[in-house]
Amino acid sequence: MTEMWVNMGPQHPMTHGLWSLRVKINGEIITDAEPMIGYLHRGWEKMMENRDYHQIVPLADRLCYASSLSWSHLYCKTVEDLLELEVPERAQWIRTLTLEIQRIASHLMWLAAIGTDLGSYTMFLLPMREREMFLDLMTDLSGSRMTTNYPRIGGVRNDLPPNWERDTLRVLNLFEKRLREFEALFDECSAFLMRTKGVGKLSGPEAINLGMTGPFMRGCNVDFDLRRDDPYEKYSEVDFRVCTHPDCDSYARYRVRIDEMYESCNIIRQCFQKMKQGPVRVKSPKAVPAGRAFAHVEDPRGEGLMYLISDGSDKPYRLKVRSPIFVIVSGMPAALIGEKVADIPAIMGMADMCLGETDR
Amino acid sequence: MVESSNNPRDKKLRATGYMLKPLWVTLRTMVRVSLPGHRPRTIMYPWEKSIIPDCFRGRPGIILDKCIACQKCVKVCPTTCIKMVQIEHETLGKVKRPEVNVGRCMMCGNCAEVCPTNAMIVTPEFELASYTRDDLIYDPIKLQHPWKAGYEINYEEQLPSNMKGPAAKKGSMELKDTVCLEAKKCISCSRCEKTCPTGAVKMTDTGEVNEKTKKPIKRPVFDDTKCVSCEMCVDVCPKDCLTMKEAQ
Ligand code: SF4
Ligand code: SF4
Ligand code: SF4
Repeated sequence: MTEMWVNMGPQHPMTHGLWSLRVKINGEIITDAEPMIGYLHRGWEKMMENRDYHQIVPLADRLCYASSLSWSHLYCKTVEDLLELEVPERAQWIRTLTLEIQRIASHLMWLAAIGTDLGSYTMFLLPMREREMFLDLMTDLSGSRMTTNYPRIGGVRNDLPPNWERDTLRVLNLFEKRLREFEALFDECSAFLMRTKGVGKLSGPEAINLGMTGPFMRGCNVDFDLRRDDPYEKYSEVDFRVCTHPDCDSYARYRVRIDEMYESCNIIRQCFQKMKQGPVRVKSPKAVPAGRAFAHVEDPRGEGLMYLISDGSDKPYRLKVRSPIFVIVSGMPAALIGEKVADIPAIMGMADMCLGETDR
Repeated sequence: MVESSNNPRDKKLRATGYMLKPLWVTLRTMVRVSLPGHRPRTIMYPWEKSIIPDCFRGRPGIILDKCIACQKCVKVCPTTCIKMVQIEHETLGKVKRPEVNVGRCMMCGNCAEVCPTNAMIVTPEFELASYTRDDLIYDPIKLQHPWKAGYEINYEEQLPSNMKGPAAKKGSMELKDTVCLEAKKCISCSRCEKTCPTGAVKMTDTGEVNEKTKKPIKRPVFDDTKCVSCEMCVDVCPKDCLTMKEAQ
């Protein structure tokens, strides 16, 4: 009876981005696992110490390629907290709805990735096609597909372009139809169900102990969402359901994300109904008073947090990022141990890895 | 332990026959995209270009005669890829204009956003591949791009003290940061007058006379309507007597 360590990654189809998973296997059974990251470390936090506050916004976009807007928004929100700057009403609505568009685009990216992880190319192509519609909306709004550079300290870059509301509502109507198509493609597919049901079991208390957040934790049947439990922007004024699933396996995490996409569509529609005309941007000072501030938001992957220490100059003294995936991937061995090697993609894929923010 | 789901969907028997539904979705999609009138989702890229909006952020471009060499774009660039270089221009003469290292540019559009004269624009040009790195350093002449409405970035801002009032356009008087002089420290070197790109600084006599040299003392006076808040005078001052007062 010999056990051995196997390296999955850094160049492996299962690893989205550059990271490596060392697994200790006993035949087909995983007895230990150790995620290794650091291949993509860019020293982001250190780099921010010699950029001024306004220059950091486009760089915060680069934290995560799949949901850039939520990170630049988080950064702007942290600085606004320290400045005690009041963001105009309309800007808050616009932020809420763009964050939801970003969430859908990010979840679609994940859905496509899980398709290739589980070996179905159709499951990759269809969500990618739908994601393009949301990226087109972001292009019209901000001029860029992925790294939007759209939020600003004290508001957003520009107001909604003409006809953007109409386009978005059309896209949502089409998208909800397509989402039902995806459900037919995934939920009715016995191959998909066989691969995801019952693997990667992790109970709610365990997930909480490991510090996991976001859809992964809600897929462990924990009813917690920062959008509801510590509302920011305008989330307190919209109605939405926090999606959980009692199964606590990979399939549950898939269901949670699909349900979240339906909820995001609802939130966007409500935003358009409740939004009023008004200013979208407030002039923010160059230097920020000395002090500390933190903000946390519900990123598509979990709880993103930024902690800012300012010494009163125009550059941050320290900007700390808490990335949700860093925590989730550190806790992944708990879900992996006892499973089969072939199930690793089905379990790890549900974490929605994004190495940009994990390694920073 | 984890209890199992009581969702009725999950209880349904899913025999292998249920594979037929995903197959049906795939086939329907295949037929749908091949019907006339339903274009496929992809395009034949090098021969056929996708349609991009005018606000698309490609490489930065410049309109040389609008630029006043204020260096605001140099200061704001997060990747420090802009540098001021001297060029010979047939109508403008010997002037300094920004040069952009497009290989390092991340197309954030910040330079166009701060440019007070909208000389810096964002162009929708994104096919920038080249064989050498030197080709990617765009000197001001190569950086030029024909202007079209929508290429420049304008925005409207609110002052925190005036949240309810009308929004002010970029570069309007209310939003301007102004220069403050601490007159006691000033040594009348008139470097700020020489550096100012807009001629907003005028050295004016105060009427007093220096006791040692018997020369009249001069102090800079700032014309806020001309100033573009570029801080070049603040940077050049040898005695640090200039500061920016931010509009609140
Ligand atoms: S900010 Fe505009 S005017 Fe100033 S140097 Fe740059 S391009 Fe020229
Ligand atoms: S677009 Fe951004 S990165 Fe590129 S030159 Fe302008 S400020 Fe620098
Ligand atoms: S007065 Fe100073 S800040 Fe204003 S334009 Fe001239 S150099 Fe720039």
